[in-house]
Amino acid sequence: MTALRGEELVQVKAVTALAPRLEARGAGAMAGSAIAAEYMLESAPPALDATRPVLEMDRVSKRFGATQALDDVSLALHRREIHALLGENGAGKSTLIKIMTGIQQQDSGEIRIDDEVVRIASSQDAQRLGVAAIYQEPMIFPDLSVAENIFIGHRNRGNIVDRRRMEQEAEEVLARLDMHLDVGEPARGLTLAEQQTVEIAKAISLDVRVLIMDEPTASLSAHEVRQLFRIVFALRQQGVAVLFISHRMEEVFEIADRVTILRDGRWISTTPRADLTPAMAIKRMVGREVQELFRRERREPGAVRLSVRDLRREGVFQDISFELRAGEVLGFAGLVGAHRTDVGLALFGIAPADGGAVDLDGVPVKLTNPHDAMRLGIAYSTEDRRQLGLIMPLSIAANVSLPSLTRYLSPGGLVRRGAERAAAETFRQRLSIRAPSVDTPASSLSGGNQQKVVISKWLDTNPKVLILDEPTRGIDVGSKIEVHQLVDDLAAKGMAIILISSDLPEVLAMSDRILVMREGRQMAIFDHGDATQERVLSAAMGQSGDLFPDDEGLDRAAAAEAIAVIDQLVAGATVPDGANS
Amino acid sequence: MARDLVRRLWSWEGLLLILLLVTLAYNVTRVTNFLTVSNQINLFQLGIEKAIVILAMAFVIISGEIDLSVASMMGLSAGVAAALFESGAPMPVAILVALGVGAGFGLLNGYFVAVVGLSSLAVTLAGYVGFRGLARLLVQDRSVGGFPDWFTNLGQRGMVGPLTLSIFIFAILAIVATVTLHFSGFGRLTYVIGNSAAVARFSGVSVARTKMVIFTISGLVSALAGVLMAARLGAVRASTAEGFELDIITVVLLGGVSIFGGVGSMIGVLLSTYLVLNLRNGLVIAGITGNTQTGIIGLLLILSVLLPNLAGRVRERLRRRQSDPSMRAPPADLSETARSQTAPG
Repeated sequence: MTALRGEELVQVKAVTALAPRLEARGAGAMAGSAIAAEYMLESAPPALDATRPVLEMDRVSKRFGATQALDDVSLALHRREIHALLGENGAGKSTLIKIMTGIQQQDSGEIRIDDEVVRIASSQDAQRLGVAAIYQEPMIFPDLSVAENIFIGHRNRGNIVDRRRMEQEAEEVLARLDMHLDVGEPARGLTLAEQQTVEIAKAISLDVRVLIMDEPTASLSAHEVRQLFRIVFALRQQGVAVLFISHRMEEVFEIADRVTILRDGRWISTTPRADLTPAMAIKRMVGREVQELFRRERREPGAVRLSVRDLRREGVFQDISFELRAGEVLGFAGLVGAHRTDVGLALFGIAPADGGAVDLDGVPVKLTNPHDAMRLGIAYSTEDRRQLGLIMPLSIAANVSLPSLTRYLSPGGLVRRGAERAAAETFRQRLSIRAPSVDTPASSLSGGNQQKVVISKWLDTNPKVLILDEPTRGIDVGSKIEVHQLVDDLAAKGMAIILISSDLPEVLAMSDRILVMREGRQMAIFDHGDATQERVLSAAMGQSGDLFPDDEGLDRAAAAEAIAVIDQLVAGATVPDGANS
Repeated sequence: MARDLVRRLWSWEGLLLILLLVTLAYNVTRVTNFLTVSNQINLFQLGIEKAIVILAMAFVIISGEIDLSVASMMGLSAGVAAALFESGAPMPVAILVALGVGAGFGLLNGYFVAVVGLSSLAVTLAGYVGFRGLARLLVQDRSVGGFPDWFTNLGQRGMVGPLTLSIFIFAILAIVATVTLHFSGFGRLTYVIGNSAAVARFSGVSVARTKMVIFTISGLVSALAGVLMAARLGAVRASTAEGFELDIITVVLLGGVSIFGGVGSMIGVLLSTYLVLNLRNGLVIAGITGNTQTGIIGLLLILSVLLPNLAGRVRERLRRRQSDPSMRAPPADLSETARSQTAPG
């Protein structure tokens, strides 16, 4: 039934891909609740108001340059609680964890542990206070034994290591997690899931009271996830407060006791799981005001430029199929770890695909290195402009001419500086790059202007297909609007554009169609008219897409809001305060 | 103008120039007729083969790599030419084969570095051992000589006016290297790859091809230097040019080229080449011998690494102190005022 209803929203292909997953998840959820029930029978979580929180973050704020990463965020973790933290990319989850584990310090607000104000200035402080974190990629010393890895954080064990005692204690700790590993063996041979268990055992051996799990399930198989959940339930029973972060909505709803939602660095809500539905959660995650939205004129796209069928790279992404027409902007949406960038890199030949077919203007092409891809007319503007986009000490002109340098050479192989500078000057004016001249080194430009130089160097190759990877990340609002304007102009002139962006309002505003990815899979392709923040995020989080089946009113409300903001922008020609912060 | 000049001197090249003038002044006062043509030619002749290889090494290091095999390649090419001549081949053929061996092994170095992706330190260390080993197989512990007169004259007599062929070749190559590094597309790519091979790759540049060309040139130029050395000395041993690689790398680094790649100028490298020649000469005059000489040049090398670093920090500090009020003005205005200030002076 579910699949049928989803068909209204999601293209047929995406739905057929989803159907088996839905069933699998149904079965998994049942097994999960069975485990949960088993533990809850022994000791149901006590009513929250009966206990004081173990760890409390009180009105914590943190700012990085122009970005307010956390704004007055409060969060309380109780004993015997699994507390899920939900939020989009950039909602502030990572910053919050870093502050809790002493990697970064808050600008204001306080942290209390057992009602006492504490300062967590380093990871040693966090360890001493009983706060530990495990991540998607466990940090294991492969050549040390399992037991040595578990006890690596212990400092006061004397100078001589009593191996037998250590191994015995390691076994005891693992037994508390209902796990049995050969503790004398090197950690090298462990699976990822077992390595995570060792990390958890390490935390327990240090008397952890708050365990933060940052996307621990992202690279685990379904069976391993079950095993991990069993451990998480065991920890809860032993009185540990678990902060659980996942982009998989079904997991959150399976194991969390309470759910806190962050959005754009602000606290939105903390709710018992029973009072929340996935649809509500997603609405809260995206419920930002619509602002600085660019209104594109919708045009009829031209002929098919790029046709991609079943593109895959082993262990990274699979079954990516889409068509891109001249004059069309295809948005790539997804959360961190969706591997959208990897699809871009495959199309540009940097990390070539190992399967599937790509046609460019109807001709099959092999994209195995960036030089060839560029000559065929594919350009990829990187998301990491500092490390991969620009030669910082070189001038704007030298950076712009780099991909098409051969065009600027005299017959004797010398660089025609005049032609090079003239071309760069054209782009400086067209994209309003703010710099004294095109001889200015790229290093002295602001982020927004650096981004424009990166785009210029690709426009100078006159590409048929332009892949823009996070073109507006970390740049000021003014530049952002200019980049949006440019994308619209380019599309109007017939360029085919792939826009990879984690900025959901941006993808929605700029794209003619939106391809949503999740963990390397294509979940759906939405037409502009059908795409809403809720629907895209649902697909990105692995929901079936039927959460908002006939929520027409929602679209209209959002559109009305958007138009109001645009009118305001056009009328006042000013940008709303605090935009992009 | 004056301020411009000061700014230009306040660079590594400027410091090199000052050091060079001081050394020159010392040499001029201590040696009569030091600046005559014949004296200068003698001065250059002493290290001319190293000077030729230095030009190629500058490209290698600016591209972010290193070539430790250059001196062994000089020995190998001299050995190949000598062994072929000894077994009856005409000298021109022997020379061409020696050059071919240099280019071929250079390409091989480049292949392992750029295509296979091994570290150039390891690959060319293997070349350092391997090429010398091949030279030993060819020449063994003999001294091969008896070359035709025209060949030994190449290395010893004035060919182009008073200049020996080696010095003439060096002069031509120095001009070609300067123009190539600073004005050609190939030179641009050398800097780009040295700064960031990743950015180059993400810009559609064929990084591997550029690196292979650079290593091939390094091998070819080293082989040429080896042949010229055989001509100058008139005899070839297996140990010809042994230990030259470190002198060559030292001069390139002293010239302001960063060992991490991406930074340096051919002017700096040429200045440091002439400086080291003069310095060694002056130290000999002052009665300072081999090991102490090397120590002094080592000290200079350490300074060359430290000073630009310190100067950069001082400049940064100054810039920060000045910038707070003035940077608020648009940059266009700044350059305007700068121009109007310099115009009358």
